[in-house]
Amino acid sequence: MTTPMPALVLRASEVIGRPVVTLSGELVAEVKDVIFERAGGRIAGFTLRNPGLFSRSRKDSLPWAGVHGLGRDAVMVADETVFVATKELAPRKQARKADVLQNRVLTDTGRDLGRVVDVVLHGGTSLEVVGYEVEASETLGTAGQRVLIPLPDTVAVSGEHLIVPAAATEFVSDDLAGFGAAVDAFRSRLREGAS
Amino acid sequence: MDWWGWVILAVVVLLILITLMVVLQRRRRRGGVIGLGGPGPGLRGSSGRNDRR
Repeated sequence: MTTPMPALVLRASEVIGRPVVTLSGELVAEVKDVIFERAGGRIAGFTLRNPGLFSRSRKDSLPWAGVHGLGRDAVMVADETVFVATKELAPRKQARKADVLQNRVLTDTGRDLGRVVDVVLHGGTSLEVVGYEVEASETLGTAGQRVLIPLPDTVAVSGEHLIVPAAATEFVSDDLAGFGAAVDAFRSRLREGAS
Repeated sequence: MDWWGWVILAVVVLLILITLMVVLQRRRRRGGVIGLGGPGPGLRGSSGRNDRR
């Protein structure tokens, strides 16, 4: 990414559907899926769709390295030459079963925390997955409400369930603006526990 | 059924088909958040507590 982004915390749903615009002002696509690397949680890029409800699907994607800038209203790219074939970024066979939305979150001690309704991203020069927004189960004492759960550096995903350390329940938040601090505190706790 | 009935039936069927098309197309275009790269090395720094109740 060429333009440094101010550090921000946002939901993946705010990025999905965002227009992809070239520096010459041409609307070339919309963001369809957000792709992240499980090891490290970094955003690898975005799959794309054409604008318009009845438009044809696209077979190319935007890798993170091709993003010129990510703003509140659009994703900027230099031009369409930065796009790559989707099979390079997100092979179909892997991608089909790897969507974390609607998956259930379990702690490593076997407690069900709820169902993922969104993913929290934190960005500067790179963008990474730092938490899940879940529709909480009774375990969290806020059944049915939406809460934010921080994630460690490595995201454990396996089929229908997403696994988080049990300590994450101590850093659950409902405030997106302050969630970055909760993530930092949680990860510090994990590092202290590991050392 | 007279010809008015057929017209109304055709309009209703058309509306149902259009609604179905819109719903299916919206579902097809719906985005997600996809984690790739294998199951990962597993959790690091987990609390290791047992939470048996």
